Amino acid sequence: MTETVPAVEICHLVKDFKTSFKRLPLRAVDDVSIRIMPGEVYGLIGPNGSGKSTTMKALLGLVAPTAGQCSIFGKDSLQVDSRDEVGFLPENPYFYKHLSGEETLGFYGKLCGIRGAKLKSRVEELLELVDLTDARNRRIGGYSKGMLQRIGLAQALIQEPRLVILDEPTAGVDPLGSRQIRDLIFKLKERGITVFLCSHLLEQVQEVCDHVGIIFRGKMVKEGKLDDLIAIEDQTELVLKDASPELIAEIEALIKRTGGVELVRKGKPRTTLERLFLRETSKEEKTH
Amino acid sequence: MNLISIIQLIPAHFGRTAVIAHHTFTQLVRMKVFYFLAFFAVILIASNFFNLPQHEGPESVGTHVLSKIKEWSLAAMTLFSLVISIVATSLLLPKDVEDRTLYTILAKPVPRIDYLAGKLLGVLLLVFVSLAIMDVLMVGVLQLRTNIVLEEQTALALKRGWPAQDIVVLKAEILGHGPTYSLQGAVIAVFLRAAVIASLALLLSTFSTSTLFTTIVSFLIFFMGHFQADAREMYLGGEMGTSNSWIAQMLSLLVALILPDFQLFNIIDEVIQGRIMPLWVLGKLTLLGLFYFIFYLFASWFIFAEKEF
Repeated sequence: MTETVPAVEICHLVKDFKTSFKRLPLRAVDDVSIRIMPGEVYGLIGPNGSGKSTTMKALLGLVAPTAGQCSIFGKDSLQVDSRDEVGFLPENPYFYKHLSGEETLGFYGKLCGIRGAKLKSRVEELLELVDLTDARNRRIGGYSKGMLQRIGLAQALIQEPRLVILDEPTAGVDPLGSRQIRDLIFKLKERGITVFLCSHLLEQVQEVCDHVGIIFRGKMVKEGKLDDLIAIEDQTELVLKDASPELIAEIEALIKRTGGVELVRKGKPRTTLERLFLRETSKEEKTH
Repeated sequence: MNLISIIQLIPAHFGRTAVIAHHTFTQLVRMKVFYFLAFFAVILIASNFFNLPQHEGPESVGTHVLSKIKEWSLAAMTLFSLVISIVATSLLLPKDVEDRTLYTILAKPVPRIDYLAGKLLGVLLLVFVSLAIMDVLMVGVLQLRTNIVLEEQTALALKRGWPAQDIVVLKAEILGHGPTYSLQGAVIAVFLRAAVIASLALLLSTFSTSTLFTTIVSFLIFFMGHFQADAREMYLGGEMGTSNSWIAQMLSLLVALILPDFQLFNIIDEVIQGRIMPLWVLGKLTLLGLFYFIFYLFASWFIFAEKEF
């Protein structure tokens, strides 16, 4: 049965921040509304300072809305129990440096009321999921940026939340680390976990999200299903493999003969620089 | 929310608070705070050999050393508990905000009061464990030294031909300077004073913008607290006249509510001199410490609950 209660519901959210004395308050978020249904991966994109993080913080009850309301699975965000089923990874997280990766997950697990054998097996499972089993006993202070993001993602998942909120999950991470995090988001999607992420890396959002919202200067300027938003309705793409020059000439002739159709572009599709980088580095890794 | 559901939530609150307290304790331990104990041991050993020129007779030399051991030990305990209570409490909260670890904690189902109480209790757990270790060391050294002094002084008295009753009095006096229940009361008083000042530092750190500000103001309030009772007496006491008495009383009450009277803890000095600390005094100090602890903790919560990150 499909769930009808939205995982995230943000209704006409407005957030003003007080500035220095006698100056007008700064409006960080201006009448933003978002609805994310369970199982969706929603990407909120926008430039730095556009209100993405403030929207997320309001959803988590870290800031109180000036107007409007936020709820998680029907529970008001200002109530503590709304966080029962949420995992959050902030931008550039720094966890307690004196704890090891395993201890960090244990700490967050206990905060969520998990104890004993259940906690132990959950920690094992997550360390494996984020590929940090080898670094489990190492202090967080010695973790690389990518490892920090991955342990951050693991702590966000500790209580098996139904919603995961990721604020710039790949900020400052190299392409390999970025790919790992992206794969983890895909895994979450497969498990039916709702993901709400914000980023200014558009290509990445395009790859993982099925719904997108564009926020600019605190206002939502565009929102909807990714496929609907990026499709160019009056164009059709045809990608052929091992096509002979004769076949291509024939297709072009057919296009010319058909009235009202125009060939816009012809050429070889290109891989992305990122894919090239990942392919080459994995080749190198195999040879060593 | 009805009463039953509130009662059902209590174990969860305690559980989370205990997790944060344990974590804070571990954090401070891993900051190598316990190195102070080595410093304490040195002080304790030094106090055994520290001798000022004496004006009293040879019979008071022994008790003088015992007083010195107590004085130096309790002074070190006070210094340690005060510095840790203020500095650690002032540091921990802004550090969590700065490192954004607070976001990850508050994004879990953790009420803000649990977080604050956990941090505070973690600091106090560290102070308690440290004081307990120092107390054991102090009592051990004091017991050894008391036995030596007792032996020496009894031999001296016998040599001088003191009557048996006088020797009994002398022995009682020496034992009074040794490890007594009152001395344990004094250590508890040191802890209570630390608890009050730590909760005050927590309150300050909820609205202060810097660790330095919280630390300095906490120390200032600690020193001001030693003159609070005198100041209230001087400015708000009888001198203001009967017409203003109710205003004076209200003001006096308000000052006492906000600013603890640390003079009450001067009982520690009397214990060093070998006097007995009555149980009711310890009870009064405990209640007072508990009152300020709860008052400051809830005041911190009041501010912290509205704070945005």
